[in-house]
Amino acid sequence: MATDITPFETEMNRGFLQVLVLVLLERKMYGYYIVKKLKKKGYLIEENTLYPLLRRLEKKGLIKSQWDVSEKRPRKFYIISKKGQDVRRQLLSIWQRQNEILIHISKENKNA
Amino acid sequence: MHEKLNKYLEEISHYLAAVSEKEEILNEIKSHILEKAEQEFGQTNKGALDKVIDNYGSPRKVAEKYIEDFEIIAPRFKGYLLRYTGALFALHFSLILLSFVFKTSMLVFPFFYIPYINSLQGLFYVPMSFVFDLGLVGIFLYFVTQSQKDIRLPWFKLKINWQKTAQKRQGRSRVIPFILMFMGYAALVWIYLRFNTLFFKTIDFQNAQSLLTPAASQWYSSALLALLGIGLAAYAVKFFNTSEWANLLKSGFQLLILGIVINKRIEAPFQFPYLNLQVMANILITVILILIAIDFLKSVIIMGRKSLAKIAYQKNNLIEGKK
Repeated sequence: MATDITPFETEMNRGFLQVLVLVLLERKMYGYYIVKKLKKKGYLIEENTLYPLLRRLEKKGLIKSQWDVSEKRPRKFYIISKKGQDVRRQLLSIWQRQNEILIHISKENKNA
Repeated sequence: MHEKLNKYLEEISHYLAAVSEKEEILNEIKSHILEKAEQEFGQTNKGALDKVIDNYGSPRKVAEKYIEDFEIIAPRFKGYLLRYTGALFALHFSLILLSFVFKTSMLVFPFFYIPYINSLQGLFYVPMSFVFDLGLVGIFLYFVTQSQKDIRLPWFKLKINWQKTAQKRQGRSRVIPFILMFMGYAALVWIYLRFNTLFFKTIDFQNAQSLLTPAASQWYSSALLALLGIGLAAYAVKFFNTSEWANLLKSGFQLLILGIVINKRIEAPFQFPYLNLQVMANILITVILILIAIDFLKSVIIMGRKSLAKIAYQKNNLIEGKK
């Protein structure tokens, strides 16, 4: 019987989603647009996961938000903050290093 | 117009009762649902909204995602909950015993008021005081958690390796101590049968004089024999069963006997009124009571730890099994 990897994937996604949103919010976007954009890229994110994540990032000062009421329907736009850019840079470098370690060890295992 | 949407938001709001940014969260969700219905179905009528809402998830699940990070007690402080409660309860319990022995109520500002109670009331009061202590420590740890500060809570450096202690206990032979204890107990029974007391004025069996009046001698000697007999029986039971239950029952019964002794105290028990021994007797009874109470609490803690370890072990096994 194949192992259900959903709980492991959920755990892995937690960190990934943070970086992904920080990368995405270089330009200002609203929630529904983020979901759609990620779907186009082949990544499905539940809406009820995205909004709490955006809230947490905003609380930590990594992103900023503002309601835009000029359109027919009010939309809340999010954009990365200065602190967020700094954190994103560091997180990406960690991710890159982790990726290199994984590739390196996998190669070693293959050659063994 | 958007009856279902309003009901849906209301339900989420119910689960987010304690969240300060509740209104903002509800606005975000509302805006998203309306946006999606319009973008994907071209309208915000009932059918479109129903589909989008169903897809968004149950109100409880949605609300939980916002509060999953909210900690009542931070994981790093959880270990202190039982430790501090245990320490506080030990203090509380000692005060209850003191008030019981000295037949007086006590007030230790600002937390403890200990009324004078009899042993039956004590049966209800002791568990209640444990719950009170647990709540008090819980509230303290809640505020420590909410302060968001890197606080290091103090605790004794004493480290007990429970597994090692148990192995040590199992490895030690019980036969010789049991024989010695049994002989000592038999000697006490013989002394009691011979002299009708276990409390002497002097250690001189040729000229034995009981320290207590005949009625007090009989009452307190029987009580002492019963206390020691229970201890001996529990020791014997351990030859067949090493469960902590034996210890717990032993100290439970001993506490009960001591409770009866204290409640049915004999007035003027000493044969020699010029010897002012009442205070010393009270202190002695208190010390014995505290020692037995500590033994009782130790058994409760060991059993608690074992059952927690068992639950953790079963949980691990379950996870392993699932894998």
